[in-house]
Amino acid sequence: MSKPEPLTHDVIVVGAGLAGSWAAMIASQQGVKDVAVLSKIHPLRSHSGAAQGGIAAALGNTRPVPSTGAEGPLEQVPDGSEPSDSLESHIFDTIKGSDWLGDQDAIEIMINDAPRVIYEYEHLGCVFSRTPDGRVNQRRFGGHSAPRACFAADWTGHVLLHTIHEQALRHGVKFYSEWYCMDLIVEDNICRGVVALNILTGEIHTIRAKAVMFGTGGYGRAYKITSNAHANTGDGVAIAYNAGVPLMDMEFVQFHPTGLYKHGILMSEACRGEGGYLVNSQGERFMERYAKAKMELAPRDLVSRSEQQEINEGRGGEADRDAIYLDLRHLGREKILQRLPQVRELAIDFVGTDPIDKLVPIQPTAHYSMGGIPCDASGQVIADAQGTPVVGFYAAGECACISVHGANRLGTNSLLDASVFGRRAGFAIAEFVKGGAQLHPIAGDPAERNRQRVRSRMENPGKESIDKIADALKTTMTINCGVFRDGGKLQIALQDIQRLEERFAHAPIRDKSSRFNTDVLNALETEHLLSFSAVIVAGAIARTECRGAHWRTDHPARDDQNWLKHTLAQRQGEGEPPKLDYKPVNINYEKYPPQERKY
Amino acid sequence: MPDSHPLPTTATVRVQRFNPDNDKKPRIQEFKVPLTADTTILDALHYIKAELDGSLTFRRSCRHAICGSCAMNVNGRNMLVCKTPLTRELDQQARVTIKPLPYLPIIKDLVVDRSSFWEQYQRVKPWLIPPDNVPEKEFRVSPEEVEALHNAETCIMCGACYSACQVIAMTKEYIGPHALLKAFLRVLDPRDAAPGERLADLDGGDGVYRCHTIFNCIDACPKNLNPTQAIETLRKLAQKRQAYEVERAERQKTLTQPVK
Ligand SMILES: Cc1cc2nc3c(=O)[nH]c(=O)nc-3n(C[C@H](O)[C@H](O)[C@H](O)COP(=O)(O)OP(=O)(O)OC[C@H]3O[C@@H](n4cnc5c(N)ncnc54)[C@H](O)[C@@H]3O)c2cc1C
Ligand code: FES
Repeated sequence: MSKPEPLTHDVIVVGAGLAGSWAAMIASQQGVKDVAVLSKIHPLRSHSGAAQGGIAAALGNTRPVPSTGAEGPLEQVPDGSEPSDSLESHIFDTIKGSDWLGDQDAIEIMINDAPRVIYEYEHLGCVFSRTPDGRVNQRRFGGHSAPRACFAADWTGHVLLHTIHEQALRHGVKFYSEWYCMDLIVEDNICRGVVALNILTGEIHTIRAKAVMFGTGGYGRAYKITSNAHANTGDGVAIAYNAGVPLMDMEFVQFHPTGLYKHGILMSEACRGEGGYLVNSQGERFMERYAKAKMELAPRDLVSRSEQQEINEGRGGEADRDAIYLDLRHLGREKILQRLPQVRELAIDFVGTDPIDKLVPIQPTAHYSMGGIPCDASGQVIADAQGTPVVGFYAAGECACISVHGANRLGTNSLLDASVFGRRAGFAIAEFVKGGAQLHPIAGDPAERNRQRVRSRMENPGKESIDKIADALKTTMTINCGVFRDGGKLQIALQDIQRLEERFAHAPIRDKSSRFNTDVLNALETEHLLSFSAVIVAGAIARTECRGAHWRTDHPARDDQNWLKHTLAQRQGEGEPPKLDYKPVNINYEKYPPQERKY
Repeated sequence: MPDSHPLPTTATVRVQRFNPDNDKKPRIQEFKVPLTADTTILDALHYIKAELDGSLTFRRSCRHAICGSCAMNVNGRNMLVCKTPLTRELDQQARVTIKPLPYLPIIKDLVVDRSSFWEQYQRVKPWLIPPDNVPEKEFRVSPEEVEALHNAETCIMCGACYSACQVIAMTKEYIGPHALLKAFLRVLDPRDAAPGERLADLDGGDGVYRCHTIFNCIDACPKNLNPTQAIETLRKLAQKRQAYEVERAERQKTLTQPVK
């Protein structure tokens, strides 16, 4: 392999989903000349485009028809009537949804910004569904006490992503499409650039920058049944960890209640937002037993656990008796075709069932990564519990942990998170660069180190299969670090990961060519999956309580006395477990003191 | 595969292989893949890569027909392999043939170079050009106006239509169905401030008149969109461009008022 010249940009954004694209667009619009975005897949293929149901903001455009109760049909709010929703209510719902682990200062910022961001999307061309009088339409979503999910049928993420990518192009952002970031260069707490592989040529480059931002998305691919795209291998999280940045709250992984049975492909929560039911094999709407008030629209952690409980107690369906059913039949053909056209097709294509007249078999599916790279509300990454900044390094979106979702994210709050904080990071980066940020020197040759990393795996004489290792990892994570956890199962997961790490040392890259080598990507991604999965498990073992999505059957209660705090995991030497540290949660005890979480 | 036959337990997947660095020309390689009723073609490719040949190269990400990565040519037709059941495409001998999208340079195996595709996408200025006066809240757009955009807004830019288009097969100067569909989205959007400029550009020799209405794009589109109809609409609007600009300017005067 030849040694290309190092590349240089003012700003390198890794990731072209909503978080990365917003940041790049804003930095560019704010006058930073040289903004480049790296993405391992074409920007428009980013997983943000798969989001279906909606993006939250308390616009108050719709409400239940008066005197039909909270569950009643929705209508547009007539001009001049009482506001039907409020920022306060959205803030409280989010805090409660987070099981009080969300940082309340950051949550307030996100929710106050939400209406502004929706209007910006709208002004920039996003094709939202509309109310009869032409406002952005809003539907119900789990854990939200008002209809505040702004949507475009059930392809919301798709239209948001296209809108922002196109506006970034309009502002002259440069895109490196199909470039894989494999390393982050941080010395003395100053970020100096990244190392990236040009997938087409196989060349590995050092890219220097005054500021680097990660918007690399989630890590759902650590699980076997997942709604996440193949690309969601948590690279950014693992790369930051390997560069010495701690990871925060990694043990909090959201399982979505309605993944297509055996596939994990998402049937949006909008299905229930529009009035769909969940039933067990006996046809019971079992949520009555678990969340009498909110029923199917209780938050995801609770609904997924309820499903798993039904299955564990023998009331699951299908041949293996581990399916639950989503019932949309009573919504009627017209509503399904108008509001849920994509999910209908998914059910037909993947499980051969048309929801218009049949029950759809579903099961909980790994969906969202609450944890990630710790940062503040301007995207500034922090190096420790004291908040020491990693100068020039920013993060936003699903790879980041600010934390606005705490122990459990509410549906439609993550498109919001990626947009609001991607945008804010864009402003912060522009200010940083225009304020005289410098390129910093780089010691040694990081690109060469990474070439060696790939070369040695290519030349590895071992016989282990990388795919089998990745598969075994996903299996143990699903079984032992899933919806219900306990100390024993988590120890098994930990040992499995250690054994898999050892096997991985003997796993070669089989494709020896340099051009578009997806086998190299597979190896790097698997390395990343293994390294952050160990952090998920370590955090889960230590946290002896139940909070949000982290449910320990051997410690069946929330424990605010000991565990109302964020986990920070710092990498130690090769093969050693991470060092766990903790950071207080930002709580406004007067306004939003911790309460019991009931729905 | 006729439904009455019992499902065979294996399928023969014939994949076109080509690495321009080493190979003079593409060749077909056969693989035996285990088959169940819900194996997709993408599952089969993953199986080959994991178990039989780690060098097999293809793009994929979402695996549910929304990211547009995995468009390929299966038994002579362009489709998304992630949502296509393998059984649907097998012949009497339980065989299927998978090739890269035609008429595009091959990067490696099933991965094609979509550069010309993206250049045309950029050429039509895919972004909305918003009006100067932006309200504090949203522009008011009616559900009917949104409905009219549905034919274009769900395009996932997979390239299936582009590489099925007989005009593209002859010349990459043609803007192409995908980019014309995007242009349609902007021209029809009541918020866009430059429909006249756009129509003038599309009216040239590489634009709407290049389409020969062969309808291949409609057959190829995995999202059931209709680029030909969009191109037809653009043609009509281009013919009355000035009137359309006046109409748009009028509409924009009421963009901040309730539509009903
Ligand atoms: C099926 C599904 C439906 C969803 N529906 C909703 C919804 O209705 N509402 C809601 O609020 N949320 C929803 N979510 C969650 C939401 O979509 C995501 O949290 C959000 O889109 C994440 O955006 P992002 O910009 O952080 O990352 P992504 O959009 O995932 O983008 C990550 C980017 O990073 C790049 N990247 C990653 N690693 C590398 C690397 N090593 N080198 C170079 N580039 C790299 C990728 O190419 C990609 O461009 C859904 C999620 C799923 C899985
Ligand atoms: S993998 Fe995304 S469209 Fe097929």
